[in-house]
Amino acid sequence: MQRDASDTRVNPDLILKAIEKDEVADDARTSRGHLKIFFGYAAGTGKTYAMLQAAHAAKRRGVDVVAGYIEPHERPATAHLAQGLENVPCKLIEHNGIALNEFDLDAAIERAPQLILVDELAHTNAPGSRHDKRYQDVEELLHAGIDVYTTVNVQHIESLNDMVASITGVVVSERIPDRIFDDADQVELVDIEPEDLLERLRAGLVYRPAQADRAQQHFFTVENLTALREIALRRCADRTGHLTDAARVLGNRDYYTRERILVCVSPAPTNPRIVRAAARMAKAFRSELVALFVESPRTQAMSDDERAKLAANIALAEQLGAHMETVYGDDIAFQISEFARLSGISKIVMGRTGERSSVRQALFGRKSLVEQLITFAPNLDIYIIPEQSTPPSRPKGRRHALALQPPSSRNVLRTLALSLAATAIGTAFRHLGFADSSIISLYILTALLTAVTTTGRICTIVSSVLSVVLYNFCFVTPLFSLASYDRSYLVTFGIMFATAMVAGELTARIADNARTSAENAFKTRVLLETNQLLQQAHSAEECARVAMNQLVKLLKLDVVFYPAEHGTLGKALYESAGTENRSASLLTDYERAVATWTFTNNKRAGASTRTLPEARCLYLAVRTGDKVFGVIGIALEGREIEAFEHSIVLSIVGECALALESDRAAQEREEAAVLAKNEQLRANLLRSIGHDLRTPLTAISGSAAILRKSDEKLSLEQRCDLADAIYDDSLWLIDTVENLLAITRVEDGTIRLNLTSELIDEVIEAALSHVAQASHGRAVTIEHTDDILLVRIDVHLIMQVLTNLIMNAFKYTPEDSTVTIGARREGAFVVVDVADDGPGVADCDKPHIFERFFTSSNTQPVDSRRSIGLGLSLCRSIVEAHGGVIEVRDSHPHGAIFRFTLPAEEIEIHE
Amino acid sequence: MNNAAKPRILLVEDDLTVQNLVSTALDLHGYVVSKVCNGQAAIMDAVSHGPSLIMLDLGLPDIDGIEVITKIRSWSAVPIIVISARTEDSDKIAALDAGADDYLTKPFSVDELLARVRANLRRSSMASSESTEASTFDNGPLHIDYAAGYATKDGRELSLTPTEYKLLVLLAKNVDKVLTHTFITREIWGTSWDSDLASLRVFMRTLRKKIEVDPSHPKMIQTHMGVGYRMQRL
Repeated sequence: MQRDASDTRVNPDLILKAIEKDEVADDARTSRGHLKIFFGYAAGTGKTYAMLQAAHAAKRRGVDVVAGYIEPHERPATAHLAQGLENVPCKLIEHNGIALNEFDLDAAIERAPQLILVDELAHTNAPGSRHDKRYQDVEELLHAGIDVYTTVNVQHIESLNDMVASITGVVVSERIPDRIFDDADQVELVDIEPEDLLERLRAGLVYRPAQADRAQQHFFTVENLTALREIALRRCADRTGHLTDAARVLGNRDYYTRERILVCVSPAPTNPRIVRAAARMAKAFRSELVALFVESPRTQAMSDDERAKLAANIALAEQLGAHMETVYGDDIAFQISEFARLSGISKIVMGRTGERSSVRQALFGRKSLVEQLITFAPNLDIYIIPEQSTPPSRPKGRRHALALQPPSSRNVLRTLALSLAATAIGTAFRHLGFADSSIISLYILTALLTAVTTTGRICTIVSSVLSVVLYNFCFVTPLFSLASYDRSYLVTFGIMFATAMVAGELTARIADNARTSAENAFKTRVLLETNQLLQQAHSAEECARVAMNQLVKLLKLDVVFYPAEHGTLGKALYESAGTENRSASLLTDYERAVATWTFTNNKRAGASTRTLPEARCLYLAVRTGDKVFGVIGIALEGREIEAFEHSIVLSIVGECALALESDRAAQEREEAAVLAKNEQLRANLLRSIGHDLRTPLTAISGSAAILRKSDEKLSLEQRCDLADAIYDDSLWLIDTVENLLAITRVEDGTIRLNLTSELIDEVIEAALSHVAQASHGRAVTIEHTDDILLVRIDVHLIMQVLTNLIMNAFKYTPEDSTVTIGARREGAFVVVDVADDGPGVADCDKPHIFERFFTSSNTQPVDSRRSIGLGLSLCRSIVEAHGGVIEVRDSHPHGAIFRFTLPAEEIEIHE
Repeated sequence: MNNAAKPRILLVEDDLTVQNLVSTALDLHGYVVSKVCNGQAAIMDAVSHGPSLIMLDLGLPDIDGIEVITKIRSWSAVPIIVISARTEDSDKIAALDAGADDYLTKPFSVDELLARVRANLRRSSMASSESTEASTFDNGPLHIDYAAGYATKDGRELSLTPTEYKLLVLLAKNVDKVLTHTFITREIWGTSWDSDLASLRVFMRTLRKKIEVDPSHPKMIQTHMGVGYRMQRL
């Protein structure tokens, strides 16, 4: 039965409900009942019949089936089928003097069958029943763990009610919520051809004859039934769709390939239509909709009206569930195809805006946007939405704008002069008796010359017209009138005009191409130079400076740069275009805020954009993909950046981003190398400490154990020796631990010096008092000066340096030696010497003595305890961290001087 | 020996080894030690037994050591010696500013510990015996006449600048007590900026030159690196 089939899907809710139910009901069932709906589009489709058949099939399988309620239509086949099932007797309810047969819910629950049939799910119960609606009864049955078969017609489903009413004109008051239908475990559509249904109706199988007539007139027409059938089928399909979605969510799997549909947003009036079409398509394909706006230099020239339309279209796209993206670029087709490629777009929907009308395209082979897209992205599906008769509204290109500019007066004069000259020469030709064709050629030459010598197409057109008019006026009979007797001259005029136009257009194109290639050459040169300079740059700041200088050179505008540092913008760099430094007004908090917006949103902002346009600078993100390395600001000073400059600016910024990226990559590699080296050092350190700490610890614990266990057997002297051993070793441990602590502070890269002003004398004094007991008879003298030697130091770390140096002096000198500590001022530094008159340091050891883990092979310490080799390397780290240097030199006649310097602090005394 | 005559010391330390070491050392030298492991118990003991001196570890498991000092200081002037690890200068300073009298840094030697205990007990007993403010002060060769406003060394009057004299008086009035840099600069200049600290160093040096027997090995005024200064009774 159907439960076996559907039980395979585990639904936690069902389990939970089952657990709850167990506590209430005494039933042994462990799950909520299953609902199966027999769904039809009209009465008489055979729902009840199908339900009864299914019930019989279940009964044959051994399921405990009862009929809870079967609508008593007088349909013989149905009635016959119902007889074979056990019935739950109906309850008689008196309402307004009418006895109504109602489904007896309590009796059904009491009976507790495995499966119950309850016809007409949308039925409204008689007043006085437990629930108003039958579907509530059914819910209770399901809750009690009883499976339910029921029937319902399409017009009873809440959300379809209006639609059905509009078709049939009948408003149905008995409705079931959509969730009952959608949550049903099974829905079986009982379908029948409308013609067959009508046939059944006429045969009296559905209603009694009198009823049937009325029904047929009002409701049962082929049109109505077909429409209802369509709605029912669609609803079933929708429900299946929901289930698939739910299963996909549950299983976290993609049942269908993810489609991404791209629609381009523009200010065009036809754009909303295209956006809507794309949205519909996205819904149909169950795919994500991405709306793209390509911001090009032309965008900046948009009128306010166009901007408003654009904003409205963007809003529409977002409202339709589109994910809005903006890219920048001059070449729209390329930008679209790149975006599509990078964001996995599978389909592009676009309009045919302005693409079919251009005769020039046809004539001169310019590719339309669609054609360009096909070239750039051959793998994309491109859907073209035809537009209704709207004039092309694509912003006019640079070429058009230039071409149709009103000609300058100089060009006009030149055009007129050429035409007049042609007329004069033509007159001479006529007098010399040359053929008319020479004169015609002369005028065509004039048009050509005009195209070459003037800019813009107006002059060419005017010249062509003038040629025809002047020829007609001066050389065609009747002379000095625009009329002509010979009809064939009209053809001559036409050809003349066409030839002049084509020649002129061709020439103009050549001129255009020349200009474009000149621009390209300039662009290439600038970019090449930028690239070379960037390659020579060695730091992020140099890269930024190069880009800024190039921009300043190109635009003659002030440029600022905010580098990205740790997720925010760092200190700004400024390059001035002139001699005047305007950094104060360009580096305000507001400007920084705009730059920060650009940084966080990875979008341009500031002057001449639609975001925060009050800013003085135009801010562009210096980025590669999602990584933003900084923000470049160009102080526009009210100027617009021309399209050509704009593309160079973007290229320079892009080059800069690439350079910064490779700089960062190099830096990261370097850091990784340092890290690896530190890691290595740390490992060595741990190994070394491990050994050197264990030795004294063994001595301490061993001596203590002997003292504790065999106290009375030991002589007083022995006990003293053991106690001394413990004491000495623990002191050694204390020293070592101090060094290790200092090392962790200084050398793990997180050094933070806790600087205070100290008198170096005091520090020396304090350090000496720490180690005095280790001198073992060595004389220690301090050489004082009368200078007040104030230094700004981390006192604990410098104490550590002094302690280590003094201890070293004690360790490597005989007991009758003298250790001299002196401090004096030399220039901007305070120099501290720790000198001894011991054997000194061997020359071969000097270069390595400050290296970590260095222990001399020649010199044995007096107390024979091996050194870890950390002390001096730590001293160097500390001194260098303070901006000083440390060195070892020979003392005369023998001995070593360890000398370190610290920056002196100037003294200001407060009385 | 009569227990009542012995000074009672409250030892607040949660590390049992250190607690044992300190209490053994104190016990050997004739002090009565009561040991507690946390701040609450310390406050309770201070209230109920009224110890002559408290040794307080700053890293307590329950409440902050500084809080213990503040609480005890609200009713008692008992000497408090703080025990702290070496790296925590700021803790020591905070404790001293909160009212602690002295500090010991781990690892410390037993001799040092006993010396501090003796000094602090002596100071508190003197403070209690001198009910009224003394008008003169003597320490080794040094003699200060507060009323007349001058100081002498070996009977010869010292020529001190006003700041030096103020500094000397401040140290003398808090003899045996560690005064933090912040405390001293506030008392002398009313502020405690970095530049004041530099000035303090310089004045301390000139003052030492005038009052110490051997200025290169100062005995009277001790430097506590990173913390402050203390005048020691000779």
